[in-house]
Amino acid sequence: MKSQHGGPLAGRVGYATFARAWAKAITGTSYMPVTQAELEAFLEGLTVRLVDALFAEPFSLRRGYQIGADLVAAHIASAEGLGRTIEVIDLRLLRDLGLSGDDMRDRMARVLGTVAIGYARALRDRTLDEQESIRRAALVAREQAEHALRESEARFRHQATHDPLTDLPNRTLFTERLDAVFGRQGTAGRRLGLCFVDLDGFKMVNDTLGHHVGDLLLVSVADRLRRALGTHLVARMGGDEFVILVEDTTCTDDVLKVADAALAAITEPSIVDGHELRVGASIGIVERPVEGTSPREVMRDADITLHWAKTAGKGRWALFDSARNQRELTRYALSAAMPAALDRGEFCLDYQPLVSLTNGALLGVEALVRWRHPQLGVLRPDHFIGLAEETGLIVRLGSWVLAEACRQARRWADVSPKAPFVSVNLAVRQVREPELVDEVTALLQEHSLPPDRLQLEITESAMMSTADESVGALRSLANLGVRVAIDDFGTGYSNLAYLSKLPVCELKVAGSFVEGLRAPAADPASLTDERILATLVSLAHTLDLTVTAEGVETANQADRLRAIGCDAAQGWHFGRPSHPSDVEALL
Amino acid sequence: MRRPDWAPESIDIERPSVARMYDYYLGGSHNFAVDRAAAQALIAAIPEAPLMAQANRAFLRRTVRYLVGAGVRQFLDIGSGIPTVGNVHEIAQQAAPDARVAYVDVDPVAVAHSREILSGNDQAVVIQEDIRHPERILDHPDLRKLINFDQPVALMIVAVLHFIPDADQPAQIVKTLRGPLVPGSYLALSQASHEGRTDEEREQAIAIYERTDSPLAYRGRDEVAKFFHGFEMVEPGLVWVPEWHPDTPESVEGAERAVYIGGVGRLT
Ligand SMILES: C[S@@+](CC[C@H](N)C(=O)[O-])C[C@H]1O[C@@H](n2cnc3c(N)ncnc32)[C@H](O)[C@@H]1O
Repeated sequence: MKSQHGGPLAGRVGYATFARAWAKAITGTSYMPVTQAELEAFLEGLTVRLVDALFAEPFSLRRGYQIGADLVAAHIASAEGLGRTIEVIDLRLLRDLGLSGDDMRDRMARVLGTVAIGYARALRDRTLDEQESIRRAALVAREQAEHALRESEARFRHQATHDPLTDLPNRTLFTERLDAVFGRQGTAGRRLGLCFVDLDGFKMVNDTLGHHVGDLLLVSVADRLRRALGTHLVARMGGDEFVILVEDTTCTDDVLKVADAALAAITEPSIVDGHELRVGASIGIVERPVEGTSPREVMRDADITLHWAKTAGKGRWALFDSARNQRELTRYALSAAMPAALDRGEFCLDYQPLVSLTNGALLGVEALVRWRHPQLGVLRPDHFIGLAEETGLIVRLGSWVLAEACRQARRWADVSPKAPFVSVNLAVRQVREPELVDEVTALLQEHSLPPDRLQLEITESAMMSTADESVGALRSLANLGVRVAIDDFGTGYSNLAYLSKLPVCELKVAGSFVEGLRAPAADPASLTDERILATLVSLAHTLDLTVTAEGVETANQADRLRAIGCDAAQGWHFGRPSHPSDVEALL
Repeated sequence: MRRPDWAPESIDIERPSVARMYDYYLGGSHNFAVDRAAAQALIAAIPEAPLMAQANRAFLRRTVRYLVGAGVRQFLDIGSGIPTVGNVHEIAQQAAPDARVAYVDVDPVAVAHSREILSGNDQAVVIQEDIRHPERILDHPDLRKLINFDQPVALMIVAVLHFIPDADQPAQIVKTLRGPLVPGSYLALSQASHEGRTDEEREQAIAIYERTDSPLAYRGRDEVAKFFHGFEMVEPGLVWVPEWHPDTPESVEGAERAVYIGGVGRLT
């Protein structure tokens, strides 16, 4: 290398020696991604440029700057890196290269100055760049994290509000949406509709084809509902229960159309796992103004209505009817209150006369149970006997009636030797009770009541449906001397042949036949009824049974019955059901 | 509502990151004030800390060169850090332009930075994942697109496992990562040890890293050796990192103060 200054030429050895010393001085000041040999080679190149800068004429600032910048670019980039570089150049460069000159001190100072400036500028830029890039990376990372968070929240929210099997909205989302309908401003004048959908016979599919097929069927039903009902919210509430929210209905018809569409969609046959399946559904519908109701009420009523649809035979929708609901609620309340009412003595008996058509004598009285309901007043049996039969309370209630009637019969017997027998209605359940015979026997004994002062009435249909043991029980009672009557005769199947085998002493002919006798005798229909009755009476007499006609309301009816040969009668014409004291007055 | 475990954590740059502290030791400026404060606290306790980091980074460079020389063209670099100076893909692609590198790091900022550096390089990818989920790393579609496990792969786990406590079963993690590797693959691994350091230095370092995103789990040479189970050690075996294929004889001086132990193993 030849200096422009004509200074002494330094050998390669000098450059290498200096570069090695330089490399050693800066080692460890920052990380350099090169081998020691590569570093030395790089610095040797810079040494050449340093010497050039030292001797350049005229002096060039740029050469020094560039050397400084190149050092930083080679990752020799730290305060220590600069300090040690200046130190080693100042101390060793001239000596190692055998350089000298008059103004060497000045030249060296100027070169070192420019190298330091170039280095510091480059290091500053590098620092700023790195700071900027790491900030940007932090920003990007934060944005990504937030985006991912939003996404995961959306996913989480979806999971929390959807049914995993069908991906339909679940109960949570449905409840939110329904609440929103009520929470909205200006509910005045708005209406809403709700369909409670339950598949018919889904359990069968599950039980016979397995849960897997059941699940696939649910998915298929969900898809069809989604497609058929588009904008309306369809949610799966669990199991095979779905619910459809129809917002802003204008009239009931709007929701009925939705229900029809849902039924049609559900009943479409579907191929599931190789099986062609067809399911039906029942739907309970509520449609009403938003104002004046609540989400809970709407849900409850839709649920009730679903049951109506189910009990009405499935495969259909039912529309909520508040009158019906009210009736059912009352029934339910009555049914629930009855046991306590029986304990509190809220029941009592009225008695209706059974009068001989031959001589007008009072033969017996039929005990009729009443419930003196504290709020509803006196209730007749048709209001509560059916309920008591459903709940089974009929057995206890029937026993009470029996005991009370026997007690009353005893009282009358004490008052008059001509006291009437009491006729008590027995429910099927009572007849089937194994204790019935013992119970009656005990009562007769307790009150020293002659057995023929007690008559037990069993409806024709009850009699036909009782098993042989029950007939046995009746026979035992008949053998005791208790009267057994068939009530409501003529309304059932009226198996006359069977009748002859029963331990019965009396037939009570249903009021509906007697009703026909109210019309003028010339009326052909009336005449038919009369003939049937006449046949019945003569047949009964052949079987040695007496006949009592029920529901006799007029003197004319009584006359015609008497003419036929009917033995006794009961009805308003002869006396309404009344208090026991009224009966006593007749004796 | 309970947050499910797949919900991401948010970015916390108020807490020192070991990735950015490491950048500071190497002389970089890819760091924030909190990182520098923690790094300076460590330097106050152990003044050679920057030299130790540099020695480790140099070990990484030498292993990559060695592996390229051995014919490896695929690198899976886990815990790759802030790409500052001397990244694996730079070293590898300089020597073998067809070399492919998959970077993995748990630090979202390090990953975002890597992504920027690597944009336009279709022979490198970066994946954000925790080494504690090795199967997620191996199954990652981006990784699968780049790395062909029918060919040898160099698994780089350099200066990472001292952030994985024994409770997280680091040996099991390495074993899982070794799973898909074919013979001819390598493991390059280093980790900080407590050997050659006073108890006081060790405790101070542990206390400082306790405040970062990744507390320290120092291990001795015997424990580090277990990570190479199934690999055949390349000469000179498991050593202080300056002693592994040194560039010059002088660079080995004071190696026993280097803290990092490392080595390279080959799958046969
Ligand atoms: C000291 S740096 C090492 C960087 C590079 N491998 C090297 O040796 O030069 C440690 C890196 O490991 C990362 N790291 C720490 N814990 C990790 C984990 N559990 N999974 C993946 N990376 C982790 C940190 O984010 C950091 O970037």
